[in-house]
Amino acid sequence: MSLKERLSTKNEITWCPGCPNFMILESVKRVFAKLIKEGLKQNNIAIVTGIGCHAKIFDYINVSGFYGLHGRVLPTALGIKLGNPNLSVIGFAGDGDTYAEGMAHFIHAGRYNADITLVVHDNQAFALTTGQPTPTTQQGYKSKVEPQGQHNVPINPIKLALVSGTTFVARTYALNLEHSTKILEAAIKHKGFSFVEVIQPCLQFNKDMNEIGKLTYVIKDNKGDMRRALELADEWDYNSKNGKIPIGIFFQKREPTLEEKWPRLSNLMKRKVERKNK
Amino acid sequence: MRLNVLIGGKAGQGINAVSGIVSSVLVKYGYFTFNYRDYPSLIRGGHNFNVLSISDKKVGSHESELDGIVALDEKTIEKHKSELKREGFIITDKGFENLGKNLNIALAGALIKVLGIDKKLLIDEVKKRFRNEKSSEAAERGYKSQKEKFKLKKLKNKISIMTGSQAIAQGAINSGIDLYIGYPMTPSTGVLHELAGQQEKYGYMVFIPENEIAVANAALGASFAGAKVMIGSSGGGVDLMTEALSLQGQSEVPLTIYYCSRPGPGTGVPTYTSQGDLDSALRAGHGEFPRVVIAPGDPIECIEKTNEAMYLAEKFGTLSIVLSDKHLAESEFSSDRNPRKPLKIEIKRKIPGEDIVKANSYEHDSKGNTTEDSRLTAEGAEKRIKKYQQIKNKVKKFEMIKIHGNKNSKNLIVGWGSTKGAILDAISDLDFKFLQVLYLKPLSDEIKKELLKAENIILIENNVTGQLGRLIREKTGIKIKNRILKYDARPFCSDELKKEILKIK
Repeated sequence: MSLKERLSTKNEITWCPGCPNFMILESVKRVFAKLIKEGLKQNNIAIVTGIGCHAKIFDYINVSGFYGLHGRVLPTALGIKLGNPNLSVIGFAGDGDTYAEGMAHFIHAGRYNADITLVVHDNQAFALTTGQPTPTTQQGYKSKVEPQGQHNVPINPIKLALVSGTTFVARTYALNLEHSTKILEAAIKHKGFSFVEVIQPCLQFNKDMNEIGKLTYVIKDNKGDMRRALELADEWDYNSKNGKIPIGIFFQKREPTLEEKWPRLSNLMKRKVERKNK
Repeated sequence: MRLNVLIGGKAGQGINAVSGIVSSVLVKYGYFTFNYRDYPSLIRGGHNFNVLSISDKKVGSHESELDGIVALDEKTIEKHKSELKREGFIITDKGFENLGKNLNIALAGALIKVLGIDKKLLIDEVKKRFRNEKSSEAAERGYKSQKEKFKLKKLKNKISIMTGSQAIAQGAINSGIDLYIGYPMTPSTGVLHELAGQQEKYGYMVFIPENEIAVANAALGASFAGAKVMIGSSGGGVDLMTEALSLQGQSEVPLTIYYCSRPGPGTGVPTYTSQGDLDSALRAGHGEFPRVVIAPGDPIECIEKTNEAMYLAEKFGTLSIVLSDKHLAESEFSSDRNPRKPLKIEIKRKIPGEDIVKANSYEHDSKGNTTEDSRLTAEGAEKRIKKYQQIKNKVKKFEMIKIHGNKNSKNLIVGWGSTKGAILDAISDLDFKFLQVLYLKPLSDEIKKELLKAENIILIENNVTGQLGRLIREKTGIKIKNRILKYDARPFCSDELKKEILKIK
């Protein structure tokens, strides 16, 4: 059986036909396969998902995981890391999940800098509940809850992550498989909290934003220049349908991780043991 | 012999050091003590007081009539003079004006002298606590300032002092806890502090995330990963955790919660006590899933029941709630009983790292894959209910209830949790049996038998609706008509409770 087959499940995939989530799934499997080839044990991967279209990925990858609650991907992932710091923990969340219900966790994740990864499938809509606006939805978007259109200004998660102390901040585009695979791999390999915002067009609801992929351009990896990172983050405001949308690593800096700072966890890591076998 | 001494002053003056020094000396001298702590929600100033109850027999409460007052300020005398017995004594700060922060130590010395206890025990205790000359001098000056009023004889009892918070922490440590997650909220914070202070010694970890929602969800994550986890909070914090209680039900990841009540609803009366959250502990969370709710009544039971709660959570993949309140958490109890040997908690389930394991908030198949299938959904529901039956069978081996007092009496008192001490002290010379309910869920079948045997039943609770009474009626069909309910945010005093009991009898 090939590695990618070992990472697959037999569950029926229930995303809409053509949904970019298929591309994200493919990219995740490619990265996991590569990491396993490089020596990571498949059993040592743990994923966490929230609730929404993105979260169905839980059933489609054959690794350990916790299909958690809406908005709670980050605390659940943090908990898994505290429980066993030898696991590679990757969280998948939606834009409603992360920036509405779970916003407090998003800001604090930067402070803790636990060695976990958060991948946000940002389709600028609550899709599984039939298209209501999220905090990243553009102004003017009409939906059943706001027939006159969205009035509020969208937040910029890249900027928010940067000012919250996140040590790895990146953006990619779901339909650019090569780029998303490269970014995801770099994020998982980063020591500390890594955040990847994936622009993911929703073919059913927020159709006005379906063409923004054309605006994306790949930036040069930025390591520790915060001013440059903020400049890049400002290039797109999540509202406009023209101009340029930078994708790539906006910021990356090595800082002590939560596990390194807590002796209890660093001891477990040094011994490379799970709790149970202690 | 029983004495009640009130020690009062402003927050920050150190009244806890007075009761602490005196009770340490007293237990070494063979006397049982109980120290009630009464303080409003402020940090400096105001009026705080402790009531130290002293007895040659076991004691678990304080009384409303005072044998003495130790006043660190004027206000204490003003407020409590009316509670003093006719022959009662007052020790004031007069003559100690130049002692500054050591005033409390001097007054502890003065009280020790009034009780007629040897000075050496006092000085040893003060030296052990403060390790400086000034403190010993203050104690000596205080001791000299008074005349003996009582002449306590040395007794041979071997006694230790503990708060409910210390005992919950001890129970968790005895259970091999790996991780305690909490967010500060009175009165649950005591356990957070206790466990945080000992984490290096015992090699577990205490973590304080951004809110109680994160506390509970992170706890499930860590437990899923194979750690032995406990979390704690009080009413409002547990409300925030509620979504995760329900998630526990669906995911079946072991979780133990320390639920320490204070008067609600809302912010309520934060630094005082209540048994108002039994309903919440029994029902919080949507959907139908099993849980265990245990309410210890004293620190030794806190140690034992926390261990049982963590054991059951791990063994059955269930939610265990240890229900306490401010009165039990923060009062200082003395005991001559040692806790039973803890149950060993082994993680036998598969955990990530050694296999592929899936936990799911959706209904799921046996491997953890999401399902909306009608048959699998029904099977999931049945599995959770069956698990409750297994838990019920297992806990029959534990002490689900206790019978105290005159075991052949036809007069029965029913109560739970922190009222235990006051009830025991109130009925010590009455013809009463006391049925203490420790397991609120599952509820023991023995309760109905006891109720049917009794002729005169009184329900005693520290809440306004008689929540245990309603639970018993729901499970047994028996309505307890006589009720003594206290809901002024204060615990029962044993002398007042005795009067109430006699009124009904």
